Amino acid sequence: MRALSIAATGMLAQQTNVEVIANNLANMNTTGFKEQRAEFEDLLYQNVEQQGTQSSDTGTIVPSGIQLGAGVRTADVYRVTGQGDLQTTSNPYDVAINGSGYFRIQMPDGTDAYTRAGNFALSPEGQLVTQQGYVVQPGIAIPTTATAVTINAQGQVQATIPGQTAAQTVGQLELTRFPNDAGLLAQGNNLFTETASSGSPQSGVPGSTGYGTIQQGFLETSNVNAVSEITSLITAQRAYEMNSKVITAADEMLSETAKLGS
Amino acid sequence: MDNTQLVNLSQQLAAYRSMDVIANNLANLSTPAFKREAMKFEEFVQQVQPSEGQTGPQTVSFVKDTGVVRDLSEGRLESTGAPFDLAINGNGYFVVQTAAGDRYTRNGHLALNGDGQLITDSGDPIMGDGGAITITSDDGDVHIATDGTVSGNQGQIGKLRLVDFADDHALKKEGDSLYSANQDPTPAATSTKIMQGSLESSNVEPVIEISHMIDVMRAYQATATLAQSDAELKRQAIDKLGSTPN
Repeated sequence: MRALSIAATGMLAQQTNVEVIANNLANMNTTGFKEQRAEFEDLLYQNVEQQGTQSSDTGTIVPSGIQLGAGVRTADVYRVTGQGDLQTTSNPYDVAINGSGYFRIQMPDGTDAYTRAGNFALSPEGQLVTQQGYVVQPGIAIPTTATAVTINAQGQVQATIPGQTAAQTVGQLELTRFPNDAGLLAQGNNLFTETASSGSPQSGVPGSTGYGTIQQGFLETSNVNAVSEITSLITAQRAYEMNSKVITAADEMLSETAKLGS
Repeated sequence: MDNTQLVNLSQQLAAYRSMDVIANNLANLSTPAFKREAMKFEEFVQQVQPSEGQTGPQTVSFVKDTGVVRDLSEGRLESTGAPFDLAINGNGYFVVQTAAGDRYTRNGHLALNGDGQLITDSGDPIMGDGGAITITSDDGDVHIATDGTVSGNQGQIGKLRLVDFADDHALKKEGDSLYSANQDPTPAATSTKIMQGSLESSNVEPVIEISHMIDVMRAYQATATLAQSDAELKRQAIDKLGSTPN
């Protein structure tokens, strides 16, 4: 009986849906996290009676035919790359991106990764690093004698050094853009890597055309909307229940069949 | 010929198929732009020999499934906020270029590929009036107007192609939310609007499907009961007729 396996595909799809929602809710307070959404598509159809075929030799045709579906599949789980709210932290090394772009991070194996989580810190050598200790590219070293650090909207990093009247420019933050943000591969730890689908990275100065600006002392919160997640959770749970009802009904029909002739 | 059992069997097979169709509707409760389907049955009449004591032509009616009809009513528009989620409000379809030729869809959940082309979930480019639509990162936030005009920071990028068909019911489902057509598409009416940031949800109504499901299940149970009483009748007939008179 096909209804059993069709309902099973429905239950599996809703299970994926709930898993994605659970991950969104779990990351509600993760800096720079982007909400994900599961999207579904119908499966192949079996043509029992082809529409448009002739139903008589006078040329009448079958208007609708019989196409039996095989259920549903998860088509993709995509990231909604909308901007999260900016939350003030007053930590000088917390930087948020207002607009599009990613910070480029050098991984321990020398490859590049990208992030929007700007909760940076200093290494013992005074280098600007992520919470995992990976160096932010291009490398920026803050002099150990610096008393204050200012990062302006264009990403210029200036350090105030005792005995000097003018602040000294010690580095320039860069942002990287992709033709298709949603195609980046999530690596965990708020990091993403380039894929064939994201397209090749382009670097630029914050504030130039198409790039976001930098806000020092702010963090970008996750863009998960709790209300819409909970509503989706309820819908997914009900859809799961209804698919399980189909299994019960199909099972009852089969058990009636088994009783025949007993 | 054992008509009772054969008529019964035709109804049981019909119930099985109906159940499959209902299961497929419910499984696709969350598939954007999915259209619910229902089985269509008709009576298949056969002439039989009149039984003893009866006169005139006798007929037996079987049930036969003749088609699956699609309910083409529009699903609710659900706001998602994603810039490349497009819902069609009104009659019409997007054109998708696949390896097997042009296909049509109402599922406007689109994305960009590495070359900046607007593609569907299965990775096939969606067609504008002048071929695929390519968006570069210089275009910034892309706006898609209700008539399908795609524009960015640098002005118009393209216009999405919307088509319609004389007979929507004749479109063939291909899975992956795609339809194929054996008729030529015509440009969609200007009253058809594209809504950016929304998706058309599936038009499956759980209440209707669950009540149909209960109907089908009960009808099936009735045929099972009938089959059993028929078997019982025969057993008794054999017992009575086959017993040797004392």
